[in-house]
Amino acid sequence: MTAASRVPAAWRPAAFVAALAGYGVFAYWAAHSTLYIQGLVLVAAVFGMLAVSLDLVAGMTGLYSLGHAGLFALGAYATTILYNDHHWNLFLILPTCLLGVGAVGLVLGAISLRVSGLYFAITTFVFTLVVTVFASDSTFTGGYGGLIGPIFPEFPSSLSWAGQSVIWACLIALLITTLVVLAIRSSPLYPVLLAIRDAEPFAAAAGASTAAVRIGVFGLSAAIAGGAGWMFAFQGIVSPSQFSWQVSVNILVMVILGGINTTIGPILGAVFITVFPAQVNINPFWQEVLFGALFVGVIVIFPSGFVGLVRLIGRQIGRSLGLAGPAAPRVEEEQPGIVDAAAVSAVARAEERSAASGSNGSGPETPAIDCRDISFRYGSGPLVLNGVDFTVRRATIHGLIGPNGSGKSTLVDLISGRLRPVGGSIEIEGVAVDREGVTKRVGHGVARTFQSAVLVNELSARQNVQVGLYSRVPRLAARSLAWPALPSARRDGRRLRQTVDDSLAFVGAREWGRVRLADAPHGIAQLTQLAAACAWGPRTLILDEPLAGLAPSEVEHAASILAKLKSTGVSIVLIEHQPRFVFALCDEVTVLAAGEVVASGPAAAVREDEHVREVYLGQ
Amino acid sequence: MQVLLSGLAIGAIYGLVAMGFAIAFYVTRVINFAEGQLLMVGVMVAAWFARTGLDPWIAIVLGILAAAAVGAVTYLVAVRPVLAFDRFSFAWLVSTLGVALILENGAALVWGPTSRSFPALLTGTSVHVGSATLTLQEVVTIGVAIAAAIGFELYRRRTLFGKLGMAIAHDPEMATALGANTVLVATAAFALAGAFAGLAGVLIGPITYSNPYLGDTYGIAGFVALMIGGTSRPAAAMAGGLLLGILGEAANKLIDTQASDWFPFVVVVVMLLVLPEGLLSLAAPFRRAVRRARAPAGATG
Amino acid sequence: MSANALDLRGLRAGYGRYDVLRDVDLQVAPGEAVGLLGPNGAGKTTLLRAVMGLVKHRTGVISIAGTDVVRMPAHKIARGLAALVPEGRRLFVDQPIEDNLLLGALHLRRDKARVSELLESVYALFPVLRDVRNRPAGALSGGQQQMVAIGRMLMSDPTVLLLDEPSLGLAPIAIGEVAEALERLREEGRSILVVEQRVDLALRMCDRIYVLAGGEVALEEQARALGEDGRALIDAYLG
Repeated sequence: MTAASRVPAAWRPAAFVAALAGYGVFAYWAAHSTLYIQGLVLVAAVFGMLAVSLDLVAGMTGLYSLGHAGLFALGAYATTILYNDHHWNLFLILPTCLLGVGAVGLVLGAISLRVSGLYFAITTFVFTLVVTVFASDSTFTGGYGGLIGPIFPEFPSSLSWAGQSVIWACLIALLITTLVVLAIRSSPLYPVLLAIRDAEPFAAAAGASTAAVRIGVFGLSAAIAGGAGWMFAFQGIVSPSQFSWQVSVNILVMVILGGINTTIGPILGAVFITVFPAQVNINPFWQEVLFGALFVGVIVIFPSGFVGLVRLIGRQIGRSLGLAGPAAPRVEEEQPGIVDAAAVSAVARAEERSAASGSNGSGPETPAIDCRDISFRYGSGPLVLNGVDFTVRRATIHGLIGPNGSGKSTLVDLISGRLRPVGGSIEIEGVAVDREGVTKRVGHGVARTFQSAVLVNELSARQNVQVGLYSRVPRLAARSLAWPALPSARRDGRRLRQTVDDSLAFVGAREWGRVRLADAPHGIAQLTQLAAACAWGPRTLILDEPLAGLAPSEVEHAASILAKLKSTGVSIVLIEHQPRFVFALCDEVTVLAAGEVVASGPAAAVREDEHVREVYLGQ
Repeated sequence: MQVLLSGLAIGAIYGLVAMGFAIAFYVTRVINFAEGQLLMVGVMVAAWFARTGLDPWIAIVLGILAAAAVGAVTYLVAVRPVLAFDRFSFAWLVSTLGVALILENGAALVWGPTSRSFPALLTGTSVHVGSATLTLQEVVTIGVAIAAAIGFELYRRRTLFGKLGMAIAHDPEMATALGANTVLVATAAFALAGAFAGLAGVLIGPITYSNPYLGDTYGIAGFVALMIGGTSRPAAAMAGGLLLGILGEAANKLIDTQASDWFPFVVVVVMLLVLPEGLLSLAAPFRRAVRRARAPAGATG
Repeated sequence: MSANALDLRGLRAGYGRYDVLRDVDLQVAPGEAVGLLGPNGAGKTTLLRAVMGLVKHRTGVISIAGTDVVRMPAHKIARGLAALVPEGRRLFVDQPIEDNLLLGALHLRRDKARVSELLESVYALFPVLRDVRNRPAGALSGGQQQMVAIGRMLMSDPTVLLLDEPSLGLAPIAIGEVAEALERLREEGRSILVVEQRVDLALRMCDRIYVLAGGEVALEEQARALGEDGRALIDAYLG
């Protein structure tokens, strides 16, 4: 993903130490430079923090916040006021800012995320407006003139060789911010965040409470903005014009200019936008015009920002030197019989584990899924499902067929908890789940896939499978903040990689593990989806048209995988449109037509059923 | 009464700018952050032509046309390439903001950063409405704004091109499959949006004089008006503008003279919390109910 | 030799780097009704969208009445060459029926007489629409909406008609009405390419059938040769 991934693994710690040392040398230089440069460095570092924090929400979760200037203002004003009027210790104010502004972010996120996308941008935009307007019109904030900020304490004399303390402080703050965000990026949470951004149903089906994660990430980002505000207070004066809505937009410009979702890019963007106006001394109007032209130019000519540009150039240089990337593997003309025995046993082991942990003592006779008298309609529309009974026995493959629009996908959405029935009840392994949402039902060992592969195209097959394992990594969200540094994370990471590889090997797509899904054929996407769904060892699998769009040879391969899963004791619901495979593969088949069950029973009997032929014949 | 009418006068300006935002957004789902600057372009160009000795009315028309032209160019240069790369990216936010910077500072370069006179055609005469007094300029502003809103609504619903705009707003791909050149229609929408901003500009010009930084003030007011009205239909933006104007005047009068700075925002916040789709979304369930009530009657007839 | 109404040769089309359609050959002769069947994900919808110009990546030959349209943008193809009834109809639900129909005749807008003539012919085909022409399209039943979608397609007076599952989600009576209308169009000598899931309907409406699987043509046969009940076809489905 980042440039680091192209550095050979053995060099990575060395590269990291070298980068850190370079950063230290820069900090030493800056701390001894002129006041003018120090001012620039402070502002650039603060905006670097803001840009990184915005990139966290905008890049990883797709939420374009325009509230960061407002959150930033809260931090700066709180620091100044608590110090000037209430004489708090500056280092007590810092955690107060982080937690306080973070909490404001949580509330703001909870309110504005009810409506997503553009309205999120607008709500947060208005938040910034409100903050600046209140700051301008209130007396305790000093009105338009603002307040004079605190002065950062000098180093004790023993450390005075290090130079200006505030420079060290702001550069360390920027470093910590960057490291935290990079930690999240390297943790298994990162693919989950992108899944929440690009393929929300997939993330939810993996057990992630998508709304909570989003709000949490926004809260973290807000806390960083609050910290940036704390830092900014030491720059001299705190006044409303420094936090206007234009500043919010400027931060977003820094992110996009530098390269969204690259973490390092936004820092470059921040440095550029802070330093450029100060260094290029021409007519100020010309300068602004140039600036505007730059915004338009970069966005129009190179939409992925500085980092994207550098990558492109790097790739071109690489190509001219004849260092072509590894060729994409061919689509495997799979030998369906041969699947790594170790892989099968790994999946089977996962099976036993989850069966032991959560089966509530229900015997093997209890059906995996038992739906009784299910009815459903969208809004006030006509009934899509009408009195449907649907029972899936343990360790069987149960086919669900019927023409388009007969209600198959709706039925599995009801079972997995994405929709709520208007009538009837659903039991999973003998437990009534009518009151439970998607996330809780995952706890009953239910995994599912989606029609037309809902996955994150920007990520590799392995990372996509990792999303499926979300519920198997305890306290992932909290631990991701310091992921690379945690010994427990290293252990979990190893285990995770192993499971992911086993799972991909199990579906026969291991060769494709490192290929971005955007570059992989449709069949591989389907197999990846299947691997993600069965990686954590669910006891019940719901597969919505897993064979759609596969070439005939791939269909055979997928069918053999399903048979293997069944042999390890998994119950499978298979929605399919190609009855030929359904009857060959399934133990039992239910046929839906126009929202009602037309036939249900052993595959062979259903196949001969008069009604079924009618469904496909019409009449 | 005075509050209401003065509020309507300034609100009409906000409303025109908001409609500009809304028209462009309606067709392209893009918010042109240079919309306020298009108002400024209208003012500056009209004032400039008037200074060269041109008949002020012709200067005003040229001002509006200039705003429309710049609007169209904005789409072609700063929006279309972005959408062509990724239909769902928000990068237009940055590029339209870049256009705003260019226009604002370009105007300051060409005409200087200070205020200049604007041809006064209608000031001086006062009109009495009950206990309230308005300048003729204000009366004309209200009239023109409302006429523009109604005219646009009629155009949207009655002409083929207006209907096509609605169709593109609803389903751009299907509109393409029916033979619509979406680029052309979108460019036209941006031009029309520019014309609305330019119109607002020449209406407010006599009061504010021509100044390169007008765009900021009115752009943000127009945007807030858009938020109040909601983005579902352009005419609602005008209603939002009028409401914003009245609220601002009332706040000045009843709370304190600075209150118009912040009071509208409080209203917007409350509104976003309660009605995230904008004020006029209230009307939607009502309309649906009417439609449902009428449907069976129509079916039998 | 008169050109085929629609002629696809070696058509590859898709959305990302990999093709949904791989080397498809398909012809619709003038006045012929051709049915396109196949499982979900086989590429039927993609094929129609590719002909209409709505799929960006397409290579090979797409020729409509001798005009190569492979590089033509959709809005030009829509000017009388092809017209589409998309899956799910995609009407402009807030706008009146008549506006929906008029939007179908965009490229004829200067020829008022021709437009009203076409409008009359649509009302003649679906008399029920005349009575509700000022009602918003969203307020109609599914069957009537499908009529509007077909009418909108006819308004552009296209060389080849493309229909994507016109029977989908309709009540049985409505299906009958839609099928009847299509048969009428066939008798009028229109060139039709229709995607249909229901074998019986496809056999009833079409002269010739293609079955698509995995982005390739798996079967091409005269409807008559498949017999009255299309048992061969059903077997291809049910195995």
